[in-house]
Amino acid sequence: MGRVILVLLATGLLAVPHVASTYHATLMLPFMAYGVILLGLNLLFGYTGLVSFGHALFIGVGAYTGAVLTSELGVRSLEVILLAAAVLGAVVAAPVGALCVRYVKIYFGMLTLAFGMVFYTFLLKFYRLTGGDEGMRVLRPFLLGVDLGDMPKLDYLVGPYYYYLAGVLALATFCMWRIVHSPFGLCLRTIRDNPAKAEALGVSVTRYRWYAFVISAVYAGVGGALLGPPTGNVDPTLAYWTHSGNIVFMTLLGGFASFFGPLLGAFVFIYLQDTVMSVVPYWRLVFGAILAFIVIFAPSGLMGLFVRRRPIQVAPG
Amino acid sequence: MILLQAQGVTKFYRDFCALDGVDLVVKAGEFVSIIGPNGAGKSTLINVLTGVLRPSAGTVRFKERDVTGASTVGLARLGMARSFQLVQIFPDLTVLETLQAAVVSRLGRGTRLFASLRRDREVQAGALEVAELFGLADKRHALARHLPQGDKKLLDVASAFALKPELILLDEPTSGVSTADKTTIMDILVAASRRIGLQAIIEVEHDMDIVFGYSDRIIALHQGRVLADATPAEIRADARVVDTVIGRKYRGRR
Amino acid sequence: MIPHIVNVLMSGIFHAAILFLVAAGLQVVFGVQKIFNLACGSFYALGAYVGISAVHAFLDAGGPPALFLLPLALGGLLIGAVGVVVERGLLRFVYDRDETFQLLLTFALVLMLEDAIRMTWGTAPQSTAGLYLVYGQARVLGATIPVYNLIVIAASLVIAAGIGWLLTRTTFGRIIRATADNREMAEALGVDIRRVYATVFTLGTALGTLGGALVIPATAAMSEMGIELIVEAFAVVVIGGLGSMRGAFVGALVVGVLRAVAISVYPELEMLLIYLIVIAVLVLRPRGLFGGAAV
Repeated sequence: MGRVILVLLATGLLAVPHVASTYHATLMLPFMAYGVILLGLNLLFGYTGLVSFGHALFIGVGAYTGAVLTSELGVRSLEVILLAAAVLGAVVAAPVGALCVRYVKIYFGMLTLAFGMVFYTFLLKFYRLTGGDEGMRVLRPFLLGVDLGDMPKLDYLVGPYYYYLAGVLALATFCMWRIVHSPFGLCLRTIRDNPAKAEALGVSVTRYRWYAFVISAVYAGVGGALLGPPTGNVDPTLAYWTHSGNIVFMTLLGGFASFFGPLLGAFVFIYLQDTVMSVVPYWRLVFGAILAFIVIFAPSGLMGLFVRRRPIQVAPG
Repeated sequence: MILLQAQGVTKFYRDFCALDGVDLVVKAGEFVSIIGPNGAGKSTLINVLTGVLRPSAGTVRFKERDVTGASTVGLARLGMARSFQLVQIFPDLTVLETLQAAVVSRLGRGTRLFASLRRDREVQAGALEVAELFGLADKRHALARHLPQGDKKLLDVASAFALKPELILLDEPTSGVSTADKTTIMDILVAASRRIGLQAIIEVEHDMDIVFGYSDRIIALHQGRVLADATPAEIRADARVVDTVIGRKYRGRR
Repeated sequence: MIPHIVNVLMSGIFHAAILFLVAAGLQVVFGVQKIFNLACGSFYALGAYVGISAVHAFLDAGGPPALFLLPLALGGLLIGAVGVVVERGLLRFVYDRDETFQLLLTFALVLMLEDAIRMTWGTAPQSTAGLYLVYGQARVLGATIPVYNLIVIAASLVIAAGIGWLLTRTTFGRIIRATADNREMAEALGVDIRRVYATVFTLGTALGTLGGALVIPATAAMSEMGIELIVEAFAVVVIGGLGSMRGAFVGALVVGVLRAVAISVYPELEMLLIYLIVIAVLVLRPRGLFGGAAV
């Protein structure tokens, strides 16, 4: 049953550029990018039990990697950009994660928030390097080596770029599925549920948390790099702490106790935000209320409402 | 062969002395019970021996190696496992998954990111074997949080056993469990230890029936010190132990 | 040279005075209810906007500019009552939940308050212009300091002393400290926890809104001021130690003065230096200068 739904949704996703309006098709682009980001975030949140308030740091790393490569270094291959974003995400996450995973709960949240804001401040203040609050331009990347510079922008975005993104999302989903259902994934869940017991069973809690942290950062970097081309610009707000809060919100919205919950969360968040914004510019008011509602009444998110599953519990510490 | 040796183990919490120069030797083939009134330092001793706490002074040797202050994870890898006084389980994992986690750890497969857990025959077989040993096989798909208390305790112990350790330290494995279940658990424990090649068991225990029914040797702790370390018969005859720990009214069944 | 140093120091101390108020609000809520209120910055912003409106209304009604401090402070203080609504209406549902959910609920508050402010006051920055100069300027060691700033610093010190007195000398203060120490015990001794929580949270909110109102003459009220301030307030409580009033005081001084120094020496640094210190503190001494429990 689950597989049927999945196939239907995947088909629907691929059909969107042909059946839906261009506007809606372009909305799917940030959805797919955030889908990748959230798959990684939920490895850390839902499966390892760590709530980061600085994850947007890695989104920023990925986004600016794309900007620097295309507009400063003349590298236009999206494959290279994504690879670089992944590697840089890992390189930054390694030391940051090594420091942060020694702490749990609120201290972990605070440390990650601080790191995120360090990067934001760097992006904002060192404007000679980063363009300051105006950000940097991202030039249209080549897809699979092909320069599509002559295509009109919209055609490029809802055509080749769309399918490229869908491909990346599919690959990212496949990889994360394997990771989550591997012996490694099981170890992460033991750490989430009971770190003391996990240690007693020989699972090194800090080391595994670190692995999860780095992997989730790689996903965020890749997703961040994919956020750049549609708008053609990246700016420091990508790394701001409220952005980190928003992606945690998206994950919670969809349901962090399920594999596909975060994807659902990204989809609903983006569409709902768009719908609300078309009526009134105060989407935060609506979303804040939704978040409050979820936290109080429906902590397992939308997936929790559809699927009567295991009750959830974020790391007891 | 001496499996575990503690010498002069002392633990201070600021000014409070929880353990004062505890010496302890456990040889292969032994079932050693640690008894003592509340606050005697039994759990502290277990925590020091299993790497949860660093001793303020003294040494601990496991299989001839100095493991003083070693981490819990390191000790688990060396062949020392434990269960907890306040039962510790993974609430959102099933019984089978809990045991699988232990087997994964034992086989060193924790870093296999892309391998399928479901299709790992060794892990599946190993987990199922332990589940059957402990009578949890028919509940193997139940979530740990939904298990009755006795089964949670069994699972805590079973997952420690799934590591196939050489030495296991059990902290009150039958506390909070009904009398009927207690003997069941103990018999399962003894049978399982033979099956997995366990070499020695250290058990903190309050129930004197179990202590005298199963132990080769009894160590009585009192106010952080070893009061007596002898066979059950000798302990029963030791007036000091009877007064402070066992109580005069105890007749015993053996 | 000296006037410049005095200027920088006084600017830092003024900022510290405001930070202390907000941080104190954060600390008292964390200490008693164990909730880190991300929305304290938003309350700060709320207080700022309400303060400005109160001042404008006062002036429009013909009030003398010299007394502008009254509507400003009163407005800031009174809007703190919104804390009761938030606590009874939202927060109390998550007291028994995991920390993460509590944190996320306060984040929901941040979102809602940000837009609520925009809806009410619009997005253009608001200010009281040069109104604060009505109190004139003082010359301190060759530097020119607005008297208003000195008034605020003095007020903050008085409030700090007041909080200290409240916590140590009054029955209610003892109840607060008991609840912070051991909630179950306090409950068993007959303390009405709901009342305590509601009062403490409102107190914390009011401190934040007051801080926001008092800062206004020196800065303009802008829609991002809330989400920007929380990071500074967070730095203060990390450095000072979560839950500690003394920590709020010392931490505010450290952050306020360091920031002023950083801005005057190398503007790019500003908050970067603060964040690096936060990271250093969290790594080297997680409980900060005066904090209690361990990681």
